Amino acid sequence: MGQIVYDVHYQTSLGFLISYYFYLTGLSAGSFMISTLSYGFGMEKFKPASKMGVVTAVLLLLLAPQFLLMQVAWPVKSLWHNFVYLNPLSAISYGAFLLVLYPLNSIIYGIFMFKDNKKWTKFFGLIGIPLALAVHGYTGWILALGVARDYWNTGLMPIVFLFSAMVSGISMMILMIMIRDRFFTKEKVINREILEGLAKLLGWLLIVDLFLVFCDYSILLYSGQEGQEVAHFMLFGRMAFGFVFMENIVGKIIPLIIVMIPKLRNNYYLLVLAALMNMIGILAMRIVTVYGGQVLPLM
Amino acid sequence: MSIEKKNQKLPRWGMVIDLNKCIGCHTCEIACKVQNDVPLGIWRSWVKEIEKGVYPNVVRAFRPTLCNHCEDPVCVKVCPVHASFKREDGIVMVDPHLCVGCRYCMSACPYEVRYIHPQKGILDKCDFCHFRVDEGLQPACVEACPTSARVFGDLHDSESEVAQLVSREPVQALKVDMGTDPHVYYIGLDQTTMEVKREVEFVWDK
Ligand code: SF4
Ligand code: SF4
Repeated sequence: MGQIVYDVHYQTSLGFLISYYFYLTGLSAGSFMISTLSYGFGMEKFKPASKMGVVTAVLLLLLAPQFLLMQVAWPVKSLWHNFVYLNPLSAISYGAFLLVLYPLNSIIYGIFMFKDNKKWTKFFGLIGIPLALAVHGYTGWILALGVARDYWNTGLMPIVFLFSAMVSGISMMILMIMIRDRFFTKEKVINREILEGLAKLLGWLLIVDLFLVFCDYSILLYSGQEGQEVAHFMLFGRMAFGFVFMENIVGKIIPLIIVMIPKLRNNYYLLVLAALMNMIGILAMRIVTVYGGQVLPLM
Repeated sequence: MSIEKKNQKLPRWGMVIDLNKCIGCHTCEIACKVQNDVPLGIWRSWVKEIEKGVYPNVVRAFRPTLCNHCEDPVCVKVCPVHASFKREDGIVMVDPHLCVGCRYCMSACPYEVRYIHPQKGILDKCDFCHFRVDEGLQPACVEACPTSARVFGDLHDSESEVAQLVSREPVQALKVDMGTDPHVYYIGLDQTTMEVKREVEFVWDK
């Protein structure tokens, strides 16, 4: 109806650094899950990925919070204020504890794994699973509790984050296993069985992930004014390249086709391509989600 | 509106903005900037202007905007370090010594009235000029308004002008559906000033 003559600019609150933080915690949680498949749940065929999984999980989770601290204006102050002046109602408060507990537990779990102590490895692996779920689920929760923004404020957000974490983690493991087997072993033969298992797992998780995205968008398109506008903006507006093309076509649908058809999946080049595309797609998803939630002004 | 409940002895500060009186002169905006030393690029209070209608039947609608000093503020809930807090008299403030600049409150406030101070890196927002209020003065914007469109006072005191305006006039607060219970009320709020024109570029930008 009207034409805005004067209004002030709002500041976007969360930026790319937060996207990278989410991406790295996702990769970490995903690779941790893979590492527990054999020691925690007795799936022996995934054993060659366990040690690699736990080492990457720890390294990535030491790296990830650095991005978080770079985003915060007062990083050093935030390190202790988060514990001393803790507000139990805020999602970030719990993150501070999780970001300490999860790497600690992963390190202990890794030490027992390298010492070949099956019993304690299983024990710490099983403790680690809820922690890994929490450390990544809470990142989705942070966004979901940004209640002002319809795009974030949905109960699906933590679950979407968990599934995208797992798929990107698996893709990363596929790539790492290939590189290790091909270049860093004496025999130079790639372990076909574990790759096949991971590729199938990736396929099923991608299906769930796509289903969740479908649920999210179909509901947004029928919700209130802001929700509809955000959905249109993501599907047909300026974000369409990031969301539709990068995240869903490149990141999910093409990899899904590759890993679901045995003939394509057994071609190592295509499998590498699928894993790479999926990792890029999930990075796009993190950026699109953080940016998309705040790109439209609220008032 | 929860003005009636809670501790009646303490004041509950609130504001009524009569848009029929507002002439869109932006004096409050400037007064706030000067009083609170608000740097370039951020605002604590401003006047949104909308042009509506089809020529020759056109009019400008104004909406002075500031923190709504909500009774149930989301910003306070999400702040991880208790830097955002609500005083007993209802003023929502930020403790600059506690704030770590995580910006979480900015993404949670439904009214987009929170900014990060570009030099200090801590959160900056309207605090009803609490130091003036504590001295018995009016906030700078209220005092500067040439048409007395902004009225500030104690909503618990039935003699005060704000309390009387809120009970007598048809008032409206912004986004009451967010469950934040805002305590800045508008008389004669125009729908167009609440619409979010996402497609339209700001004329200001061109
Ligand atoms: S308007 Fe926003 S910043 Fe002000 S009290 Fe309400 S939620 Fe907090
Ligand atoms: S920016 Fe400051 S006031 Fe806002 S949530 Fe973070 S610590 Fe609290």
